[in-house]
Amino acid sequence: MADLDQDALAELLVNWLPTQRWYAGKGRPLRQVAVEQALALTEPASATGPPGLHLVIARVDYADGPAERYSVPVGTAAKLPERLDHARIGQLGAGELTAYDAVFDAELATVLLAQIKAGAVVGAVSFGTEPGVTLDTTLPSRVQGGEQSNTSVVYGDDYILKLFRRIAPGVNPDLELTRALGRVGCAYVAAPLGSIEGQLAGTPVTLGMLAPFLRTGTDGWALATTSVRDLYAEADLHADEVGGDFAGESERLGHATAVVHADLARALPTDLATAAESRATAGQLGERLDAALAAVPELTPYAEPLRAAYAEVAGRTEPVPVQRIHGDYHLGQVLRVETRWVLLDFEGEPARPLAERTRLMSPLRDVAGMMRSFDYAARHLLAEHLNAPGLTYRANEWAERNSEAFCDGYAQGSDRDPREEAALLRAFELDKAVYEVVYEARHRPSWLTIPLGSIERLVG
Amino acid sequence: MSAPAELTSPEESRDPHWYKRAVFYEVLIRGFADSNADGTGDICGLTAKLDYLQWLGVDCLWLLPIYASPLRDGGYDISDFTSILPEFGDLGDFVRLVEAAHERGIRVIADLVMNHTSDQHAWFQASRADPDGPYGDFYLWSDTDDRYQDARIIFVDTEKSNWTWDPVRGQYYWHRFFSHQPDLNYENPQVRDAMLAVLRFWLDLGIDGFRLDAVPYLFVAEGTNCENLPATHAYLKRVRAEVDRFYPDRVLLAEANQWPADVVEYFGDPDAGGDECHMAFHFPLMPRIFMAVRREQRYPISEIMTSTPHIPANCQWGIFLRNHDELTLEMVTDEERDYMYAEYARDPRMKANIGIRRRLASLLDNSRDQMELFTALLLSLPGSPVLYYGDEIGMGDNIYLGDRDGVRTPMQWSPDRNAGFSSADPARLYLPVLMDPVYGYQALNVEATTRSSTSLLHWTRRMIEVRKRHPTFGQGSYTELGSSNPSVLAFVREFGDDLVLCVNNLSRFPQPVELDLRRYERRTPVELVGGVRFPRIGELPYLLTIAGHGFYWFQLSRTED
Repeated sequence: MADLDQDALAELLVNWLPTQRWYAGKGRPLRQVAVEQALALTEPASATGPPGLHLVIARVDYADGPAERYSVPVGTAAKLPERLDHARIGQLGAGELTAYDAVFDAELATVLLAQIKAGAVVGAVSFGTEPGVTLDTTLPSRVQGGEQSNTSVVYGDDYILKLFRRIAPGVNPDLELTRALGRVGCAYVAAPLGSIEGQLAGTPVTLGMLAPFLRTGTDGWALATTSVRDLYAEADLHADEVGGDFAGESERLGHATAVVHADLARALPTDLATAAESRATAGQLGERLDAALAAVPELTPYAEPLRAAYAEVAGRTEPVPVQRIHGDYHLGQVLRVETRWVLLDFEGEPARPLAERTRLMSPLRDVAGMMRSFDYAARHLLAEHLNAPGLTYRANEWAERNSEAFCDGYAQGSDRDPREEAALLRAFELDKAVYEVVYEARHRPSWLTIPLGSIERLVG
Repeated sequence: MSAPAELTSPEESRDPHWYKRAVFYEVLIRGFADSNADGTGDICGLTAKLDYLQWLGVDCLWLLPIYASPLRDGGYDISDFTSILPEFGDLGDFVRLVEAAHERGIRVIADLVMNHTSDQHAWFQASRADPDGPYGDFYLWSDTDDRYQDARIIFVDTEKSNWTWDPVRGQYYWHRFFSHQPDLNYENPQVRDAMLAVLRFWLDLGIDGFRLDAVPYLFVAEGTNCENLPATHAYLKRVRAEVDRFYPDRVLLAEANQWPADVVEYFGDPDAGGDECHMAFHFPLMPRIFMAVRREQRYPISEIMTSTPHIPANCQWGIFLRNHDELTLEMVTDEERDYMYAEYARDPRMKANIGIRRRLASLLDNSRDQMELFTALLLSLPGSPVLYYGDEIGMGDNIYLGDRDGVRTPMQWSPDRNAGFSSADPARLYLPVLMDPVYGYQALNVEATTRSSTSLLHWTRRMIEVRKRHPTFGQGSYTELGSSNPSVLAFVREFGDDLVLCVNNLSRFPQPVELDLRRYERRTPVELVGGVRFPRIGELPYLLTIAGHGFYWFQLSRTED
């Protein structure tokens, strides 16, 4: 039987890719799909033998702009078992082989793990473990549900392999930062165990990263909303009086955040942003505000105070310490495991280009992100409690109490109390809120009051 | 209903690991039943109630001190190690209690204080009067009060120093607890031999073991905190060797109110399967169960379970929700202690030393759902559960009684005079019975709750029975399962093919949870109380919904195709 028929596969991908959750080009006019790389990781599939596996990089060309590239591990089998029917891509060539998304096939998922363990080099792709790591390749695998832009395969209770689907040249910041943090012994991240790295036009590109699976973890959002729910159910108690008080957790989270920032500053470059750079930062905030004002008229009453807040940043003369940061920091990016908080997903804001995501920035942006997340956690249930005016007061109280506790913990974990940089912190919080206003106006108009209310309080 | 336990007497069964599966019941002789109408419970009274305890499913009684004592510290101030406190009866009564218990398949262990005696003990009287006599070195004497300064003061509410001046001998004596409880001098070989003789005395009478009170403090040494010293462990090894040689199925339970990582030392050498105490109490677990339920999230429990070390093969934790002492908060951080005070001790009278003095029912505001959830956790987390007398019917407390007496009021047997506890004049009772409208004996008593099939008493009995059908609860491994819902604590107990999945909703609100049970694929969860078969486990996450403060125990049975 012949090796993978790339043209046939490209034809199939034209219809299959746009149906995938992680496909970013929805709504764009797709012109064609080309298979740029197809690396065989097993013997070719035969009519009776085991299935074959290729790591495929497909380029999607659009009629309206730049191309995108996707990574797809493609399995090929003479007869696709029924349990894998949902992963079917289609019949290749004359129908001899069926192509399917190999992550769902436990047998082929194990091949990926084995290649990482072996440190295999296949064409331009190199698999490998981090120094000192040994892997157990006998663990059963499953695909973790619910992800947007990646696909994760969990092996036993031990490892999670995050496969990046839409790929862009450059080392993925998540791999880069957790690797650097692992090297300095940071306890608050899951340091990577291995990786799959390839080449795109001579530039390295991250295709996958293997990390410890944190089996008993719960994300911070679920934990925080447990606390908020408890507060809402009380008749007359304050946030510091109810059993579900979250401030202790917030303080520990603040501490962990400060330690991660300090470790990032230790492991990777840092700098001091000059007055001119502060002006440039304020300029960017202003540009985002202009765009938001054009899109959401409800924001207009706050335009002047917002500009005034940004002007304080522009007028700043002393330098601002900058470094690598998390970049997309909120309660959904932190996991509570038995004894500590663990920070996840250092990819930065996925919608922004890589060069922007890897820029040195003030760590106060992460602090601001978490403040906004506390605000959302406190308020997102309000929409369901329209007739309870007292709850707004409690939501404020909860958000304030936990923001303060977070900053207390942050101050203990570093030599800087974020509240000492009030103007900068406020500007970053406002910038996040402006972004949220645009997002909510577009996707969840009933939630628009959450960021608008926050802006009103922040500038009031 | 099947008989809860086999009726062979302990002498015949000789199971050296019985304590790993046993349900313990802590009973206050003074408060349980009064046979001679003097207002104080006694040994004969307890003997008369053994049928009730057998019916409940109790495997082992734990008695608080039964020895002669001036009773300035609830009997922990022993003035004669080989005689019974006269109010409780005599040695003949005690032997009859042990025999009657053994006939019902129930064992008996008792508190024994090895660290100190009462200042009324003949040894101390001789020691203070005659420094050069045979007892002159039985205690720790000093001309100054500045030795062992690194040892903390345990009863901070009442004591200022660990040294107290004795005007008779003209020296200071050492005491880690109250000043009327001088510490024995274990550097003296005669003390070590004398205490072994005390142990043998009771073992020869048929007792099944001891809870050794305050063991970390036996030996002292300058420059240390005088706790957990190597010499203390060496002596415990000697005690254990003696017990193993002559009394093979008896048990030693260490009372060491320390972190599990320190307590685990009291089990002894893991390679020998443990060669000091068979059991030790797990103190920090209990406050964290309270904290987890109040916070509606599992991490307080997960944290302490993760930081609990493995214990030697022949050892077991003793776990409890409440006991005769306050809810101890020594094993929590300052922040957590403030939190616990705020949540469970709103009235300052509810606090004592570093803890909260309340019973389970009143700590939980008499919430039946929570009492069931807490009891289910007690019966399913790793360790042998210790019930506190009266908690099985949901008894309350009286915070207006001094010290820790609030949780030591008479057992409520019936709506008769004195709650059926005693036929004495009510004014003569050692403590008044509870008469408040919620927990008062008129409505809340064994007789009434026995008649009501939906009572907490019947529920507790049923759960004990279920627990006993599954050795995994006593001997199985413990694996916590993750889930995205922080309010749900799920874990699997596994012992050979006896697999039990426990799912607990720590929140007062109903919760959904998706569990990854793939490693048990094709097994069928069978709910243990009702025997209801749930859908078979497949590849997909297993979805359960649980009522507020609800829980499930499932056996994971193999299924035929």
